[in-house]
Amino acid sequence: MKRFSILSCVILLLAAALAVGSATFLGPCVHEDGSFGSCHWAGQALLGVGCALALQALLAMASRHRAGMFLGMIPTALLGLFLPGTLVALCRMDTMRCRAVMRPASAVLCGAILLLALAGALIESRKGK
Amino acid sequence: MDRRSLPLKNLLRRSARTAALVLLTAFLAFSVFGGSVVVASLQRGLGSLESRLGADIILLPSSAQSKVSFEKLFLQGTTGAYYMDRAALDRALECEGVEAAAAQTFLATLKADCCSTKIQVIGMDPETDFTVQPWIAQSYGTPLGEMDVAVGSKVEAAIGESIRIYDENCKVVARLAPTGTGLDTAVYCNMETMRLLLKAAENKGVSHPITSDSDDLISAIYVKVQDGADIDKVNSRLTGHVRGATAVRTRSMLTQVSDSLAAVSRTVTALIAAVWALSFVILLIAFAMMAGERRREFAVLRLIGMSRRMLSHMMLAESALASLAGGVAGLALGAALVFPFTTLIETSLALPYLTPSAGTIALFACGTLAVTVLVGAAASAWTAWRLSRVDPGTTLREGA
Repeated sequence: MKRFSILSCVILLLAAALAVGSATFLGPCVHEDGSFGSCHWAGQALLGVGCALALQALLAMASRHRAGMFLGMIPTALLGLFLPGTLVALCRMDTMRCRAVMRPASAVLCGAILLLALAGALIESRKGK
Repeated sequence: MDRRSLPLKNLLRRSARTAALVLLTAFLAFSVFGGSVVVASLQRGLGSLESRLGADIILLPSSAQSKVSFEKLFLQGTTGAYYMDRAALDRALECEGVEAAAAQTFLATLKADCCSTKIQVIGMDPETDFTVQPWIAQSYGTPLGEMDVAVGSKVEAAIGESIRIYDENCKVVARLAPTGTGLDTAVYCNMETMRLLLKAAENKGVSHPITSDSDDLISAIYVKVQDGADIDKVNSRLTGHVRGATAVRTRSMLTQVSDSLAAVSRTVTALIAAVWALSFVILLIAFAMMAGERRREFAVLRLIGMSRRMLSHMMLAESALASLAGGVAGLALGAALVFPFTTLIETSLALPYLTPSAGTIALFACGTLAVTVLVGAAASAWTAWRLSRVDPGTTLREGA
């Protein structure tokens, strides 16, 4: 029987929060004239990263090779960490939603997923020995 | 059996119980650390606002209903543009009791080239200004030149970069130190640059209603009162002497901010106290329940030769270890939620907010850890004393 993985569940929840949040309550503001800034695309990219991480977490739940699945989450979480502000430019005022909400929230969520994935990979690889 | 490793082994063996203790103490540490940092940041912000105001009286155009707008500009970075004639500066300087007066001109951009946010541009005369110029001088030693700008810490523009304001390119020559106030979202330039920007704004259809000559426009006059002079009297004199302007005492603005800050501090302190009281009671109950569960374990340990003192120490060490782990987790959670969201907290509270120095934060963290471990140990002390007095014979017979 497969063991239940609490870590995968927590990662799934965090990834879902990242995906749903970047499209809703954590997302960048909409410009008054209806145009999109680059922060909008950073939000869209985070939605993708969140979905990818959620899928990886689901696969980790079902997989026998959890250590590998957890290791695979690390680069995706790193991508989410560096997307807003580093890889994709944001608005140039710190008080704007993309800087005040989206970037710190994605940093906290992706940072937590990164740490949990590292811990998961370590635990699972020890169990395998 | 290594007696010293027993507390850790006990904690690891009963992982669910340990997790509950760690979670509870983590919540305790989070509330103390997060609350302390927020209150200290508000206090530092108020200090910063006091030093940045730097004037006793501020004269603003009466037409602007200016006091509220000015406070919003100072505290929240709301953009505002209101004007009076430059002659008001000369009239203010003529007034008895005035030691120095300096004018500033405000201009709100329609939107920056990067995104849809408006930016407040503040023009001042580096020769006479005694409020903003000392702050700029900390980051940029020479006076600002034509089309040079200094940007507040919340404006993301690198030194040497150009920012476009009303289609005019301005070169960023300095990034200013954070103040925790609305001034951090503004862009600063000298009066020559401001005149060019006002003309550029006119060309874009922005009208400055009081005069057609943008050379004559100013928005605020900062007044320093002579030593020994009665500030209230000078305030009344300025209101009477400078037509079309209202004099505002900076002290009244600071008092309002200080009152709001005190209210927020009181609320945060009350919340921390409530969380502490609740957590302490829950910890006491948890340890008391644990006492019943662990009587047989302690009786066996007594039988194999552990003294009462050793048992008490073991119990205290267990709770201290669990509290330490919870304290570290609470600190990590507090740091992850308070520091990245500084701007959000500042804008939500609409009060000056300046994060304390790294040394102060480290002190808060150490204090929080120490207090969390002490509370954990204190909550378990009574249980430890009770369990150490377990009569092994009776307990094991009862349980048999």
